[in-house]
Amino acid sequence: MESESQKYWSPYAAGVALGLILLLTFVLMGRGLGASGAMMRTVTWAVDTVSPAHVDSNPYFSKYAGGDKNPLSNWLVFEVIGVFFGGLLSGMLAKRMRLQVEHGPRITDKGRLVLALTGGAIMGFGARLALGCTSGQALTGGATMAVGSWIFMLTMFAAAFGVAWLFRKQWI
Amino acid sequence: MHEITITSGRNLPHIDPWLTIWGWEIPVYLFLGGLVSGILFISAVFYLRGRADRYPTIVRVGPLFAPVLLAVGLLALFLDLEYKLHVFRFYTAIRLESPMSWGSWTLAAIFPLSTLWALIHLKYVLPNWRWPWPIIEKLIDFFSGYSRAIAWLLIIYASLLGMYTGILLSAFNARPFWNTAILGPLFLVSGLSTGVAMIMLLSRDEAERHLLAHIDIFAIAVELFLIIHLFMGFLASTQIHIEAAKLFLGGPYTTEFWVFVVGLGLVLPGLMELLEVRGKILPTRIPAILVLAGGLLLRFIVLEAGQFSQWTF
Repeated sequence: MESESQKYWSPYAAGVALGLILLLTFVLMGRGLGASGAMMRTVTWAVDTVSPAHVDSNPYFSKYAGGDKNPLSNWLVFEVIGVFFGGLLSGMLAKRMRLQVEHGPRITDKGRLVLALTGGAIMGFGARLALGCTSGQALTGGATMAVGSWIFMLTMFAAAFGVAWLFRKQWI
Repeated sequence: MHEITITSGRNLPHIDPWLTIWGWEIPVYLFLGGLVSGILFISAVFYLRGRADRYPTIVRVGPLFAPVLLAVGLLALFLDLEYKLHVFRFYTAIRLESPMSWGSWTLAAIFPLSTLWALIHLKYVLPNWRWPWPIIEKLIDFFSGYSRAIAWLLIIYASLLGMYTGILLSAFNARPFWNTAILGPLFLVSGLSTGVAMIMLLSRDEAERHLLAHIDIFAIAVELFLIIHLFMGFLASTQIHIEAAKLFLGGPYTTEFWVFVVGLGLVLPGLMELLEVRGKILPTRIPAILVLAGGLLLRFIVLEAGQFSQWTF
């Protein structure tokens, strides 16, 4: 177990590096980090491909697609592609890359995937209501000292702390 | 709604305001043609160097896929033809000034050669395979005696095939983005790289994959060099060519080309292969898949951007 954990960065070093990356994206791209926005744009693109008329008539979708607008032509989409390949390369360099589902001893692969997907969907829905997710609101908004982002972050962690108690047996 | 007013009096569908004649068929064919040329080229080279037993996937297994992939590519090319029944006319004339004539005669030579090459190596890959007709066994045995000559012919024709896939476009001077001599060598090297990647996916031998990774790193480096020169050449040329280069330097193809073709299709797999041969990461099939996807996308983008670029800005 000791050798396994040595393959990961120290969380403090990673935190500082993430902060510097955030600063760098503000300097280079003029925008901060985000994640759920890329998912939202991918969904919008998929809906636009299947039913452009629906996208045009829907006030939420039409902000991002419809007409000449390409919902995928956005910094967040490319950032998330970069995160994927960066993570891949990092896993390869640490020689710990393999296909696996991580879960606690009491739950099956399938159960873990169902719970993760459900949790992800709730998180995604919440992120759109809050106009951002952990990275978009807490990280990027928090860095600009936006009050709303700090409230979001504190509320999110408080809520997560409470709900985690209900699911603790999935992990121990 | 995108409205375009043409005031020239020309009414040329698929030509004005920009060319939209070639669809998915041509880039798919160009990709598969390049892929097959790469597979056959390295198979023949390593066969002539007497490495058939040491590198069996390169020399013997890879070529088994070549005629099949080439047939799929030729089918795509055939689907693109407006007058499909006129295809035989390519073979009623030899026109040295036409790349299409060069291409059709090259294909007429390399398709049977690649089939023969696959049949010669089939008995080594599948030793229990028996042909239902003994005449085929006899014919294969007869041609096996001329293996070295066939390998030399394959080297020549595979190079011609790889080169011609680029020259086919660059000979078409009416489109500024294709109007560069670099496309021939670029597609040749890209074809070699994708061919190597395909064999990397098939090979289970570590030494062989190591060798392939070395070849691919070299091919990717040459490709990057050629891409840089492609744009340097355009930017040092006439305003029309500068405009064509700008399609990729801030224009509509910028992200697709630099992120997906150059970034994820060349630089990242090249880096992964470099780390792999130095033992920094465990070998995976990921770089090979990225190279193949990048090669296909390169041909789609070059074909579309070429049709989009024009003399009348």
